[in-house]
Amino acid sequence: MNTLKVQLQIFRYKQGQSPHYDSFVVDVPDTAHVIDAIDAAWAIHDPTLTFRRACHHSSCGSCAIRINGVEKLPCITRITDVWDGHRPLRLDPLRNFPIVSDLVVDVTSFFQRMSAADMAMTCEAEAFLPFSVDTFAVADLDPKPVDLPENFSRFSRFEQCIECGICMSACPTMAADEKFLGPAGLAAIHQARKKTDDPVKVAYLLGLADGEHGVWRCHSAFECTEACPQAVDPAGKIMALRRELIVSRFTKMLGKRNV
Amino acid sequence: MSKLDYRKLSRASRWLDVRNRKLGMWAYALNRITGIGLVIYLYMHLFVLSLLLRGPTAWDSFVALARSPYFLALDVILLAGILIHGLNGLRIALTGFGIGVGAQRALFTTLMVISAIALWVAALKIFRV
Amino acid sequence: MTVIERGEVAFGTTGRNHCLLHSGGRYCVTDQESAIECIEENMILRKIMPDLLELNDGLFVAFTEADLAFREQFLEGCAACHIPAREISNEHARAIEPFLNPNVLAAVQVPDGVFEPFRFCLAFLATALQNGATVRTYTEVTDLVCAGKNVTGVRMRDYRTGRNESLSADLVVNAAGPWAGEIAGKAGVAVPEIPTAGVMVALDCRLNNMVLNRLNKPSDGDIIVPQRATSVIGTTSWKVEDPDLITIPPEHVDRMIAQGEQLIPIVKKVPMRAKMAVARPLIARAGIDAREVSRTFECFDHERDGMNGFVTIAGGKTTTARAMAEKVSDIVCRKLNISAECRTRNTSLASYRLFFQQPGSYRASFPGNPEDRFSPEHCNR
Repeated sequence: MNTLKVQLQIFRYKQGQSPHYDSFVVDVPDTAHVIDAIDAAWAIHDPTLTFRRACHHSSCGSCAIRINGVEKLPCITRITDVWDGHRPLRLDPLRNFPIVSDLVVDVTSFFQRMSAADMAMTCEAEAFLPFSVDTFAVADLDPKPVDLPENFSRFSRFEQCIECGICMSACPTMAADEKFLGPAGLAAIHQARKKTDDPVKVAYLLGLADGEHGVWRCHSAFECTEACPQAVDPAGKIMALRRELIVSRFTKMLGKRNV
Repeated sequence: MSKLDYRKLSRASRWLDVRNRKLGMWAYALNRITGIGLVIYLYMHLFVLSLLLRGPTAWDSFVALARSPYFLALDVILLAGILIHGLNGLRIALTGFGIGVGAQRALFTTLMVISAIALWVAALKIFRV
Repeated sequence: MTVIERGEVAFGTTGRNHCLLHSGGRYCVTDQESAIECIEENMILRKIMPDLLELNDGLFVAFTEADLAFREQFLEGCAACHIPAREISNEHARAIEPFLNPNVLAAVQVPDGVFEPFRFCLAFLATALQNGATVRTYTEVTDLVCAGKNVTGVRMRDYRTGRNESLSADLVVNAAGPWAGEIAGKAGVAVPEIPTAGVMVALDCRLNNMVLNRLNKPSDGDIIVPQRATSVIGTTSWKVEDPDLITIPPEHVDRMIAQGEQLIPIVKKVPMRAKMAVARPLIARAGIDAREVSRTFECFDHERDGMNGFVTIAGGKTTTARAMAEKVSDIVCRKLNISAECRTRNTSLASYRLFFQQPGSYRASFPGNPEDRFSPEHCNR
């Protein structure tokens, strides 16, 4: 096992003080992920360093930060993939969120938006395996159909979105519009819409999407889809919502003419 | 400017921040820059047209200016703006309806190459006049 | 009622667990007390947090003669612990799980499930907040305040501001997992705990829909838990001195892949997405190997150690978290002369998203609130 001596430059901010960067040097295995380096800096050098983390395997979405300016999940990002061995690895909190302290951001308003969309976390699974977000991982594996056990009508799965906020940080419209539902909020609306036929709920969801801070604020930067670690493709979902809204507008217009 | 306005302005100015961002963001920023440029051009154009109201001398002196190579260069820049904004706008219209979302980067590259070629051909014609 | 957590919710052991909602099948032969706890809690959690579970059941699969020999005891154990178990044909098992090792000699279906620990914890805490609790995250207990033979409160540091604070309490519950011994030490009492770490490996694609278990006694790397677009192979165990700093031994990672291959041969070809390790709060029992120590939980009322107003809850698994809380709460109520019955068995949990929308824990604001400060761009570099 080879050890790396990694230099970190971590954004520091405590309420009432001015922001700055602190340098840390940690020894970690060369197979380590960035979260292991942050953990080492905290455990060995500075217990006042605050950062978010829980699962270490991209299910909780809490650890999202910017690594050298790019939004990533440090738990699935290998140090050797982002560190050139010379310049320090710069760690910043996400953009477009208020900063609580150091790398911790305030996700209150984010979850308010996700609650407004109210997407259920479980959904129906695909009828084949393997299932992956990484096309290279499955390039050699042919999709195989799956049978169901006796008492099952479908397999269930969690939605791909882990509510990490990376898309919100990458989106330029989030910076400009305080109340924009954001790629995550709109993608969640799309997913919630797909799962319901209740006309009241559909009207509510499409109303949100069609509203002042909905799909029309998106100006096609596509940064959300590029940055998403879970292949949610929020941009695609926003465009799908737009299609539905336009189609329903046209059918309503045509409907009126026939009357 | 009050503190609140300054904050909003500095946040909104992030549309220009293409550091560490991908092709889609470049398209986004370019569209905004060319859009602002074209709006400014529009006002200038209307002003120039208003010279017609001032009679032949005013108009003729403008036309003489418009023949100078510096002015023709500005015309080429204007055409670049129109091509970039127009063709990228086509891409945005398509993807906005869900057509070609997966190919948005390839679409941008292709359309910008077409713009470059069209611009080159147009520049040649403009300067030969 | 205040919960004090030194990091984000699920920052410690609970965050990095294997995400397995146990049916109890794993323990139905070797640790029946734990198995019964598991199946009871499994059924309760299905009722109170249905939207936070991938419910695809699990399979215990035999590949060798030794595995096959275990089948009889396994089915008896399930029956004894009231775990609904059903044997299915080998062909059907292979049709349900196309990437399963084709050498299936027997397959038993049990009600295993999958959760993810962060939202699991958030749902409980959101419900607690709705019922009047306060949750302080990024706040570490630095000392216990003792007056003679009584624990009367805590001293803590809020890392968001750097300020030290004191909080007085009628009773302090030590639920610090593998750090419970450290906390108990501040009151001069001991908790018989051995922090025991384990490694799990998450793959870059999901190769199974159901939880896959080896049909045999519990051993390393004999479970593959799927979730979203990943399959997680686990786990190992080794004692650790410092639960804060665990280096993942590469041999353990290799062993997970090797063991995983026996269940799903193709795991070797799939890239690794992540790996995690954290210390389990195992309760020490003299002379017993870590793999065989019971996974059940225990509540220590330190009144018997001479300190009043202090209770520790240790051991356990995330599957039985609610049961642990019920046990501690019953003890707390008894000690504080509160007569109330625990209602958590039947209370549907609040939406986990509400945890982050309480004005008490965080500011309820949209970004761009004038008081909110500082994007790193304003920093001089």
